[in-house]
Amino acid sequence: MKVELFYSPGCSACGDRQAELRTAAQEAIEDVEWREINVVDSVDHAVELGVMTLPSIAIDGEVVFTAMPTVGQLRKALIERNRGRA
Amino acid sequence: MFTIGKLAGLTSVSNDTLRYYEHEGLIRPIAKSAAGYRLYDQDSARRIHFIKHAQSCGFTLAEIRQLLELRQRDKACCGDVRSRAIEKKLQIESKIRAMKAMSRALDQLIADCANEKRPVKECTIIVALERANLSTPVQ
Repeated sequence: MKVELFYSPGCSACGDRQAELRTAAQEAIEDVEWREINVVDSVDHAVELGVMTLPSIAIDGEVVFTAMPTVGQLRKALIERNRGRA
Repeated sequence: MFTIGKLAGLTSVSNDTLRYYEHEGLIRPIAKSAAGYRLYDQDSARRIHFIKHAQSCGFTLAEIRQLLELRQRDKACCGDVRSRAIEKKLQIESKIRAMKAMSRALDQLIADCANEKRPVKECTIIVALERANLSTPVQ
C-alpha cells in the first residue's frame, strides 16, 4: 500500500506530525510504502492525483485526506483499505 | 484622506467595485466627512492594489480576504502564504489539464467532420455529441 503525503516546507498546517503519522502507518500496515512529497517538486503528479490543498494524503493514488489527519484517523483509513484489498 | 471617487481614480477601480469591496469587508472607511461621505486612507489604496495583483494571479476575493488576514496575523509566516500560492497553482494546473482535455476532444470532433458541405442533420459533430448524450444517464 502506497501512502503519499503532499506538503510544502514552512506550511504550518502541514504541522510536525509527519514522523508520528509515518510510524503509525508502518505499524498499521506491514507493506506500507510511505512517501513525503514536497509538492513544488512534483506538481504534475499532485495534479494528476487531484491534490488541491496542503497538506493532502493520498492512499494508493486516491486523495483521502485534505488536511492533516490524527494518527487514529490515518490508522483507521489504512486498516479499512487494507481489509478492502484482502 | 480620500472620498470614494478619489480612491477609485487612484486605484483605477470603479466606485461600485469599491462599495462591493467594502460590503465584503476588504476595505473600510476610516471616517466620514461633515457631509456624511465615507473617507478612506492610504492603507485602503494599498489594499486595493494588493487585491488587484492577487486577482491577476487567480485568487478569488474569498482567498484574498484570507491572505489579507494572514498578513495581519502575528503568528503567520511566509510559508503559510507560500502554501496558499502553491494551492492556487495546483488549482490552475488542474484547470489547464481539464481545458487541454476539452481541446483534444474538440480536435477529434473537428478532424472527424471532414465534409463541411453535408447537411447539418448528418454533421458528424452533432451526431457524436448526441451519442455522448445517450451514453450519459439523465439525472
